[in-house]
Amino acid sequence: MRLQQNIHRTGSAAGTWRVLLAVAALALCTAAATEPRETPARETPPRDAAAIIQDAIEYWRDVSSYSITEMIIHRPTWERAMTLRVWTRGQKESLVRVTEPAKDAGNGTLLIDNNMWTYTPKINRVIKVPSSMMSMNWMGSDFSNNDLAKADDLIEYYSHRLIDTQTVDGHTVYHIESIPHEDAPVVWGKEVVQVRDDLIVLEHAFYDQDMVLVKKLSTLEIKTLGGKAVASVQRMQKIETPEEWTQIGVTEAQFGVEVSDYTFTLANLRQPVL
Amino acid sequence: MPIGLVTRLAWRNLWRRPRRTIIMVVAIALGIWSMIALGAVVRGMLEGQIDKEIFNLTGHIQIHAPGFTDDPVVDNSMPAASPALGAVLDQAAVAWAERVRVPAVVASERESTGVSLLGIDPTQERGLSFIGDGVHQGRELTSITDRGIVVGRKLLERLETDLGKRVVVMSQDRANEVADRGFRIVGVFHAEMEAVEEGFAFVGRSVAQDLLKMHDQISEIGVLAHDRDDLDELLTTLGTRAPELDVQSWRELKPLLVLTNKIVDVMLYIWFVVVFMAMSFGLVNTLLMAVYERTREIGLLQALGMRPTLILGQVSMETLFLLLVGAVFGNLCVWATLLWFADGIDVSRFAQGVQMFNMSPIMQPLATLQDIVAANLIVLGLGLIASLYPAWRASRYVPVEAITRT
Repeated sequence: MRLQQNIHRTGSAAGTWRVLLAVAALALCTAAATEPRETPARETPPRDAAAIIQDAIEYWRDVSSYSITEMIIHRPTWERAMTLRVWTRGQKESLVRVTEPAKDAGNGTLLIDNNMWTYTPKINRVIKVPSSMMSMNWMGSDFSNNDLAKADDLIEYYSHRLIDTQTVDGHTVYHIESIPHEDAPVVWGKEVVQVRDDLIVLEHAFYDQDMVLVKKLSTLEIKTLGGKAVASVQRMQKIETPEEWTQIGVTEAQFGVEVSDYTFTLANLRQPVL
Repeated sequence: MPIGLVTRLAWRNLWRRPRRTIIMVVAIALGIWSMIALGAVVRGMLEGQIDKEIFNLTGHIQIHAPGFTDDPVVDNSMPAASPALGAVLDQAAVAWAERVRVPAVVASERESTGVSLLGIDPTQERGLSFIGDGVHQGRELTSITDRGIVVGRKLLERLETDLGKRVVVMSQDRANEVADRGFRIVGVFHAEMEAVEEGFAFVGRSVAQDLLKMHDQISEIGVLAHDRDDLDELLTTLGTRAPELDVQSWRELKPLLVLTNKIVDVMLYIWFVVVFMAMSFGLVNTLLMAVYERTREIGLLQALGMRPTLILGQVSMETLFLLLVGAVFGNLCVWATLLWFADGIDVSRFAQGVQMFNMSPIMQPLATLQDIVAANLIVLGLGLIASLYPAWRASRYVPVEAITRT
């Protein structure tokens, strides 16, 4: 019953979404006609730190996206690679589907807002990830479920401050310190995000409440994919265990694509049309 | 029957062999002492366990929405106490509190662990549960809208965090969606048991209700009555005032405790009987010996006209004196022991093992009248019955044979 309600909710929002999508697509077309896609922010530099973060997240998520990503989980004694397909729409909906290796193929994760469901074909079950599991790691990687589900919390729950500006390779890099609000569901003491002036996040560092660096997500490669520059290879690494990291490399991406409403439903999660 | 004569004879006979009598008195005293002292220690342990469990957010009576006991989740919540119910509780209970109680996860930067999250009204908890007694570090919650969280010392250790830092609490709200919020740790409580320090986190009730989208709903009402063994009346009243809710006493909530209580009862009586058996063999043996020694004398008494019933009475009386003297010494020993351990027995050296059994590190022995009476009755009553055999043997002597025996 509850699941049905969720599906229903998603469905009713669909009309609104379609309008938004159309508007956004139109805006993008005009933007593409007048200026190069990869530098939307260069003409009018972002006014404050919060705006930079917001723009960077919007730039990264776009209105919608479809990408093929390779995830490498590295440990001192072994390494594992997976190929994932990722669909996103807006900042609240995403679907991740494993296509390789064969034994994990079909595993899926659906995120709608802060709620998360996983599907495993071997047991043919959709499981809603309970709150108790949200801080566990996602598919054995160095990302936690929360890292996925709450990627956009940075806008809602933090105060941002520009602490440094550097020039690297002709680009301006903004160092932004983000401190969570008192009631925010965030364990970190602060996060420091380095954003390049073309809105690509170069590094996202997580500090504990003693302001000691715990883990960081760094961008290792920037490539033009799907018509715009994106951070194509990123690595998540815990500082205490330098030999363990998870790297995600985007091999193919499309932005602003039409993603059907059906994509972000439990039915689709259960019966993948790959 | 010349009671005076029999009594005098019995008493004098008792002290004809002082060493043997003293050994027997010591044996009886030891037996009684071991029965009552052991009983007191075990009962004290159990009593401490029950008291602690009741103070440990159980109370004497709890009121829940039906289904909460089986599945303590946010869905099984109920409206706050109605005025009618509140009036009964105000009048009949020593203390009562409305709480929110849900399973939750507390996460720090490095670790996360499951706890029972309690949304409490700090003023209502005074005298009702341990959290009402304040905290050991930092400050206690001040109101139902307090934005801080109070956790146990062990949980702090486990999460590798500290007083004054923030943690994230995650649970499920009424819509079955993830509910999470950051809280600053404002206070740390210490408890005797690690499980308690690790298992509970306290926030303001109103804050918890907001987080879980429960509005004014609560999970339970905890009640402390005047006497934990006299709850029937209150239970019935509460049951009629809130027929749609589950009203349960601590006996129903903690069946294991009640079962332990019963097991302890049975074990103690088995112990009493075992001790008595060992003692009674010594007793019968001593009496048989005493009677055997006095064969000629008994024969003479019979020849002089003393009836067998009097012989039987005399031996029984002797036994009774022996048992009484032993019992007096035994009870004196018990009294001395209880006095010695009046402050409790400190078993904190074995703290880890002790905690496994949900016991507190200080044991307070508790001698109940029931155990004292039972032990004394068993020794005196069964002792007398056991003495009937040697007494009967003595009364059956044929005078002529007895006198001529050398």
